[in-house]
Amino acid sequence: MLYLFSLMPVVLAILLYIIPYVRVIKSMALFCQLGLTASSVYIFFLSKSEEIVTNIGDYESVLGITLRSDTLSSVFVALTSFLFLVVVIYGFNDNYGRFYWFFMFIWQGLLNGLFLSSDLFNMFVFIEVATIIVSVLMMYKRDNRSMYDGMVYLMINTVAVQFYLFGIGYIYKLTGVLDIDAAMKIMKQMDPATFYLPFALIMTAISLKCALVPLFGWLPKAHGTASAPTAVSALLSGLHIKCAIYLFIRFQIFFEMIDLSVFFIAIGIITGFVGFIMALSQSDIKLILAYHTISQIGIIMLALNIPDAYSRTGGVYHIINHAMFKSALFLCAGIINEVYGTRDIYQIRGVLKRLPLVGGATIMAILGITGAPLFNGSISKYFIVSGAGAFVSAMIILINLGTIISFIKYSTILFGGKKQSINREEIDVFRQMAVLILGIICFFGGIFGEQFIHFLFNIDVGVDAAGYFEKILLFAISVAVGYVVFRYYVKKSLILKKIGSFSQNFRGMCASLGVFFVLVLIALRVLL
Amino acid sequence: MFNHVGIIEIFAVIVFFLSFYGLITSKNIIKSIASIGIMEIAVIMFFLGIGFFDGMKPPIGANLENAADPLPQALVITTIIIGITICAVNLSMLITLCRQHKAADWDVVEKKSSE
Repeated sequence: MLYLFSLMPVVLAILLYIIPYVRVIKSMALFCQLGLTASSVYIFFLSKSEEIVTNIGDYESVLGITLRSDTLSSVFVALTSFLFLVVVIYGFNDNYGRFYWFFMFIWQGLLNGLFLSSDLFNMFVFIEVATIIVSVLMMYKRDNRSMYDGMVYLMINTVAVQFYLFGIGYIYKLTGVLDIDAAMKIMKQMDPATFYLPFALIMTAISLKCALVPLFGWLPKAHGTASAPTAVSALLSGLHIKCAIYLFIRFQIFFEMIDLSVFFIAIGIITGFVGFIMALSQSDIKLILAYHTISQIGIIMLALNIPDAYSRTGGVYHIINHAMFKSALFLCAGIINEVYGTRDIYQIRGVLKRLPLVGGATIMAILGITGAPLFNGSISKYFIVSGAGAFVSAMIILINLGTIISFIKYSTILFGGKKQSINREEIDVFRQMAVLILGIICFFGGIFGEQFIHFLFNIDVGVDAAGYFEKILLFAISVAVGYVVFRYYVKKSLILKKIGSFSQNFRGMCASLGVFFVLVLIALRVLL
Repeated sequence: MFNHVGIIEIFAVIVFFLSFYGLITSKNIIKSIASIGIMEIAVIMFFLGIGFFDGMKPPIGANLENAADPLPQALVITTIIIGITICAVNLSMLITLCRQHKAADWDVVEKKSSE
């Protein structure tokens, strides 16, 4: 019955498009989304004990199209359904019209399909059609800038996906099957060197979709584009980028005989640094958040490549945590932008007084992303560091320090402002509810972190009290250092301003795609 | 390493990287869109070359002896449809951009839309 997860949202989207009454559409969307979330949790419970396999059209597993739900994919499906539920709640009183909900639900169906698919070609179809939907949603308001951004996003992702398609064509040529499991069995009997070329092609495509250095040029354009609907930006940063990470995890298992983790750890570290340095140099709140996505992706990439079960679990947990706090931050930024009428970080002041609940949710999300004690980011970062060597842990701590500096800058919007000019604003109840749900989850994900990881991945992990205390101390020191650096360096730095104006054009992105492809090939020759 | 690669595949790889060269160098947006189209065609050609060697027959009818592999063709049809969609969306975005900026040049469009 797994195909229903992909089919139901699409059917629902069409129904929502046909029904002419806006009220009915919205209530229906909310109820159906609740149902989808509930059933995704149910599927998660089922697939925790046993892998669920659905063969479409009753063909045999290898011949036909197979949907497969194991723990990893069902966690991602549940995450998708939950985030879309939050977004539906957030947009309950918006007036975007029918097309908006139509595209949103189709997008959800495609993402579910991608996570459940166990066929290389279907993955291509789902991710490519999702790219088209996203680019249409990004330019939904038909604004000048977002049209350009949407176009660059669509084109560079199309080019990357052609690399992916070439790679799976090559795999099909060598193995004769497209099913992941069947192909893996055949590949084990062959010489790993035969698969260097498809590996390089597929990994280049996935790296672009993950926005690793030097392929991150499209991400700030896509995620930070000014006039995209807030919910779309939130889902892009919180969820859509996770598709690429999910594919990376899958292909890491798929190409298990080609171990290039050293290369990806190096790229991950550079990505982490570049992300927060670029974020520090921005003044647009949406762009700051977009660049932080790059930085966090670097950390996740690093974690997934450390050969240690704890670190990898921490990495997957960090994916979920990042989905929560980054969506919360984006949704809050959307509300703030609407109330203040600007996205300039130097002009927004006193959010906590003017929008107390939104400010509260922002604080919780900031504590989550900076890895503050008791919040979800700290738990996942604790596990990532626990399996890493000395150098990598030091790098993670430095990246986290950079994140803290940048979010000290970000949190200046919460305080200050002239007292007499600040009045409380009345915000739509549903919007506040949505951001508060996400903020509170950031908190609970930290307190019940161990139980959560046990529940999700069946892995017993113990947080060592002494070790955790050490991390709290480290966090306090980082905040102190971060504040000093922010106060005396970041505010005045001219170099940062220069870095901030850097942006890649389309030709540059294509060139760096080629460079990355060659880099992977060289790494394969040198490291293996 | 390349002894299992046929002539069609080699040609496909050459076209693929030619179109990549086009993407890196062309300043005109329409040329970029066309390059993406050529890239897709290169991949399609590669897929069609997978199951085919000299002397093979098309996989139609009851006599399937020495027939080419039919699966790549099914995949290729899907790829073509997606390719057309992408081309259509790209061109429709380009039309809007062109009407606003009176230009189809990457540099001009980027400069004007960031104002």
